[in-house]
Order: sequence, then structure tokens, then C-alpha cells
Amino acid sequence: MEHPTPSRRKFLAATANLASAGWIAMNWPQIAAAAEHAGHAGHASSDTTAPPATLKTLTAAEAAEVDAIANQIVPGGATPGARDARVIYFIDNALGSFFAGQLPAFREGLAEFQSAYAAKNGGARFSAAPEAQQTAWLQQVDKTPFFTAVRRLTVLGLLAWPKYGGNHDNLGWKLIGVEDNHSWSPPFGYYDTDYAGFQPYPGTKPYTAEGAV
Amino acid sequence: MDARKTYKTSETVDFVVVGSGASGGIMARELSRAGHSVVVMEQGPRMAPQDFEHDELKYRLLSGITNSPITNPQTFRSDESKTAERMEGRNALTYARIVGGSSAHFNANFWRLHEIDFIEGSRWGPIPGADLVDWPITYDELEPYYTKVEWEVGVSGLAGASPFDPWRSKPYPMPPMPVKSSGVLFERGGRKLGLHPFPAPMAINSVFYKNRPPCVQCGLCGGFGCEVQAKSSSVWTVIPEAEATGKCEVRSESYVFRIGMDRGGRATGVHYYDRDRKEQFQKARAVVVCANGAETPKLLLNSATSGFEQGLANSSGVVGRYLMFNKGGGAQARFEHPLNEYKGANVTRVIHDFYDSDPKRGFYGGGGFDARSGGPLTWGQSVPKDTPAWGPGFKEYLESYTYWMNCSGHGTSLPQATNRVDIDPELKDDWGVPAIRVTYKDHPDDVKHANWQVQRAAEIMDAAGAKQIVAEPVGEARGGVHLLGTCRMGNDPQRSVIDKYHRTHDVRNLFLCDGSSMVTSGRGQPTQTIEALAFRAAEHIARFARANEI
Repeated sequence: MEHPTPSRRKFLAATANLASAGWIAMNWPQIAAAAEHAGHAGHASSDTTAPPATLKTLTAAEAAEVDAIANQIVPGGATPGARDARVIYFIDNALGSFFAGQLPAFREGLAEFQSAYAAKNGGARFSAAPEAQQTAWLQQVDKTPFFTAVRRLTVLGLLAWPKYGGNHDNLGWKLIGVEDNHSWSPPFGYYDTDYAGFQPYPGTKPYTAEGAV
Repeated sequence: MDARKTYKTSETVDFVVVGSGASGGIMARELSRAGHSVVVMEQGPRMAPQDFEHDELKYRLLSGITNSPITNPQTFRSDESKTAERMEGRNALTYARIVGGSSAHFNANFWRLHEIDFIEGSRWGPIPGADLVDWPITYDELEPYYTKVEWEVGVSGLAGASPFDPWRSKPYPMPPMPVKSSGVLFERGGRKLGLHPFPAPMAINSVFYKNRPPCVQCGLCGGFGCEVQAKSSSVWTVIPEAEATGKCEVRSESYVFRIGMDRGGRATGVHYYDRDRKEQFQKARAVVVCANGAETPKLLLNSATSGFEQGLANSSGVVGRYLMFNKGGGAQARFEHPLNEYKGANVTRVIHDFYDSDPKRGFYGGGGFDARSGGPLTWGQSVPKDTPAWGPGFKEYLESYTYWMNCSGHGTSLPQATNRVDIDPELKDDWGVPAIRVTYKDHPDDVKHANWQVQRAAEIMDAAGAKQIVAEPVGEARGGVHLLGTCRMGNDPQRSVIDKYHRTHDVRNLFLCDGSSMVTSGRGQPTQTIEALAFRAAEHIARFARANEI
């Protein structure tokens, strides 16, 4: 902890601008620890347990199919997709722990998905098919509960904390434009950059603890 | 803090307060400051600042700090003719199950009720299917306590900015929070339409106040605890102050499941499960239940005993009835440039032009609007109509996250006797305590008003220059987080559960104060009212105690 992370330094600076020096001195260790711990990847990266990066629940064959579906839901290319964000490790982790209750239905859905695909394609595996063929097949099954479940897990895996296995290297957050930080200060976005201040309405007299504004 | 006061269960304390949230925390502070011995019972654990995380998955989807549908399940049905069933992955009624209660995870929107909220029964007369009545108190009676909340608990805002504000005796102690892009756009659209957007009153420190720092604009308020303690949650405000009296113990992981009664019809204390799930009994001279609009009626109904066969304090049959949520409708809008709504406290601008109900609309209902945002994980789960749900088109949508905002309407829910919390005939929770059954169906006017709000929100976003607006019809409510009305206050013991001082009509030393006390729903942000009621109730309860009238 003697070498504060950049985000922590930024947090300290932001807080120091606003709070009294005496208060900071008294409360800093506790607040800093809380912010550090509560942060996004600040937490994940300081966590001693590495995010799951091996399969523990699904078989390799099952995972290959699910990974192929996930990567059609959020495809890679010019920007990272589900595969780059290692969403499959999130899905595997989720189905083996906090969503374990969903595993039997998920497996059943996957088996049906596979056998339906194989029946129409001479016993082939979905994950081995060319992209265009995968897309065409998914268009036929994208209303099934199984596809809906994979879609939900894919989005969660993309955007949940990296410690759950997905969102590798914050790729999911980067994709949607979210920077990983503990604290922010104005301006937050494009439209508040040049805000002129609140103009009172005729007939109103806004006032604060210091008096009229 | 190292030597917090503790009491033995065999000691008869002056008060047991059940619940440590918005009202329970205030009750504990006020009663202990008045010199009484107080034990606060909290179902959930006590979390230190460093225990709170910005983990959207855990907090929003895995019941990280809320009542879990796995360990604390409920059932739901839309009307009495149906068999209530457990809902997939969630409970109908959600609250934070930690020290600080829902004040620990709220968004911190602090709207006072307006004068009209207290007198709508006489203003509008009977509404078919509803039981809209006046409160037994007025805005004028509650005003000093609203002010007390703002100064004692800590609220930022700009007094006098909204032409629709009720009168106030003092300004806010802190200036408003810095505006976000959503607030700027919302204000631009609102002003263009001749409306009056104003800086949002928030129970979040905008400056250093009461030994707590200002908000660091992390962006995750609703659903999360505030680890920097800038959010004015009971756990950072009144709870430590109650403990500082040396008269108050906050007993966490202590789940009260029955109120003890003697043959004379007086409460004797509370039966609870301790952290080892061992049954205990804490003796008390009086009991104040501040457990929220779901857990308070559940506790009373589960406390049925000889002489109180329908449940405690339920001679009226009204306990658990008139459940209200705050129905509302809004729109999402996409703009040309990034707003970055994931940064900064949730809400910065509010519109109250449509607060009052207006018979010209053809239905009862009123409310307010605000500019707000959702966390990325929640946002990514659904797509607007006509946006692909997967593939390159969906990815493009995901990439537009920072360009979106919500214009949200918050409004009235009518009190209906058929909407209720009662006890499921079969389901029990992990402790073996009979579980909540919810019966709820929106009043037709609630749905009409919510959909009317959707149209207004779309107009505001259009006037703000939105490139795309998503304004979809609002469906029937199947649960909520504003848990209101289930032990309503009133002068008539046959039609209400508590009197205007929060004493139950039936049991002299049993008081209730939380969202369940509310007679009408208000317009969407109930916490400041719950806290004002708590300050007022505590003053009266302390007065009764001094006069030996408990």
C-alpha cells in the first residue's frame, strides 16, 4: 500500500480538494481502504485470487459451443468481442457457483441446441461451422430459452467485474466506453462542460444557508 | 467506538427498536438522546465502509445486501383468486438487509411531500376501487421535521428554486451537487417546454458536512452502499450518534420474528434469532417497529396470539393492506455526444410541474420527473424495440452506452385494500419464519398516469435534442422497493393501524414508524418523509415515556 495506484492518487486528490486537511488526516486510512476495496478493477487487481481462467463446470466441448454462441452475440473484429473478453470463463464460473441452479436447464438446452444443429448439418458441431453459417443458424433459434440464457450470461460476463472470469483486461468496459476509476469530478460529459449555472425562474428567490443566490 | 454499549436479554430495556434503517436509526438516536436505554434489532449484518463494493453483479443480481429470494423468499399473485407463487430469481418486495437498512442503498432523492399529499382524500373525493383518504396530520405539522432531516441527516439542494415547492422554514444546509450532462439536457428540454427543472435535493454531502466528506462522484448510489460515507445513510449518520450516547446497542444479525405479549395485552419484548440462529428474547418496556412496509406487517401478522388472533394491532383488519409502490413511467434517450452517466451521483435535476393531479387528464395521478442513469450491467440486459439483441447491431448498441440517459417519471399509486402483504399459508424462510405473500394489482388510474408520464418524458427528451427516444408502455407492477402504506396512520381505529403519534390503536406500548405509516404514496421519493415521521414520532414517544403514558 506504500505505492498508491494511479486511481487511488486521483481519489486522494479529489477528496483533498473538497474536505478539510484535518479530517483527511484523521480519516484517510479508513476511507482510502474503503475506496480501494470498493473500486472497480482496483479491487480486482489487488485481489490475491486471480480470476478463473480454466473450465471447472462445463466440458471443453460444451464450452467451445457456448463460446462460439457468445462470440456471435458480441462478435470480435475491429473492437474486442465476447471471446476476447473471455466471457466463457465467466459463464463457466457462474454456472458452477452463483447460478448453479440454472446449470441443469442450461445443459439440457445446450444438448438440444447441439442435436438440432447436428441433425440439420450431417452431425457437425456448431462451433466448427463458418461464421455465416453460425449466424444463419442462430437466427432460427434466438427465441429459445437456451439462447436467451446464453445472451444474458454473455452480457453479464462482458460487463461484470473481471474477478468473475469475464471482462478480461476490462475489455467489456472499454467496449462500452466506461473508464475504471473510483471517483470523478465535473465535467462528467460533453453537455455539462459549458453549463452556465442555474438561472432562477421569475418570481422565485433561491437561497442557501449562506443567503440569497 | 471500541466499547459499544451492550445489554443482556434479561435486562428490561426501555425500548426495542426493530430495524436500523431510515426510521429505525432516527428513532434510536432520538430515544437514546432522551435518556432511554435502547436496543436496535437488525436482521442483517453490520458492514464497515471497506465492506461495500462497486460490484454490480453482486449487488443488483445476487442480493448482495438485499433480502434474498433464496433465504428470504416471498410469493406473489395479482389477485386473491390466484395461488401466490415464488418469482424467478427475485422477490416482489426488496429492501436492504444490513445495518442502515434501505437508507444504505438508496439513490438518496429527498423530496418533501407537498401540502396536497396530505389532503387528497377530501380534495378529490371517492375514487372507484381506491381508498384515498386524508392523513391525520398536515404538511404544516410535518414541516419542522422535514427541516430537521435536512440539517440533522444532511441534504444538499437549492431552496426556493422550484416554483412548485411547499413552504419551508430553512434552506438546505448544503448547496446542490454539481450538475451532470443528463441534468443539463433535461433542464434544456424542460425549459424549452416552459417547465421548471431545478437542482435535485439529495441526501448526499456536496461539501464536507457533519464530519463526513463530500461525494466523490463514483456514480454508484442506488443499490450500493457509500463507502466514502458521503451518502446520508443511517449507518453513517444517526446510528453512530445513537451509540455515542452510551445508551444504545445496535444488535446486528438479530432477526425478530415475534413480538412478545402478556395477558394484559401489553408488549413485553421481542423474540428473535441471533446470529447463530438461536432463539432469544429481549425484554423491553415498549417496542417500536421500524422494519419497513413489508417486514413490519409481516411481524405483526406473525405475532398473532390469544386476544389478537388476526395478528397484533390488527383489530381493524387493515395490517398489511393498502400496499403502494410509486408507479411511474419514463423514457430513455440517446444524444449526439457522450454524457458518461456512469459518473456522478445519480440525479441532478428534477421537474415538479406535473406534481398535482389534474382532473382534466381524465384520471387521478401526479408526480415528478428526474434525469438519471443506470449502471452498465443493468443497462446492457435489454435493448430498445427494433435494436438487434445480438450480433454486430447489438454490439453497436453496447458501444453507445455513454450516449444515453433516462428521463424517469415517479408518481402516485392509489391505496387499495386488496393490495396487501400477508402471510403465505405454506412458504417459510430459512429460519422457519412464515414468509410474505404479496397480492398486488395496479389501479387503472396508476397505469394511465404512468403511461401519460411516458409521453411527457419523451417530449422533454425531444425538446432536449435527443437523436433517439425509447418510450415504451408501462406494464403492471409485480413488486417494488418503495414499500408503503401497509400499517396506515389514522384517527379511526377501525380504518387504520396507528394513531397520529404512531402508537398502535390496539397495544399501548407498541409503536410503528416507517413506510408502512404512510397514508398515501406521495410522488416517488418517500425516504425524507419516512425520516421526518421518525423525528416527529420519536419526540412524541419520548414525551409519552416522560409522562409515564406508555
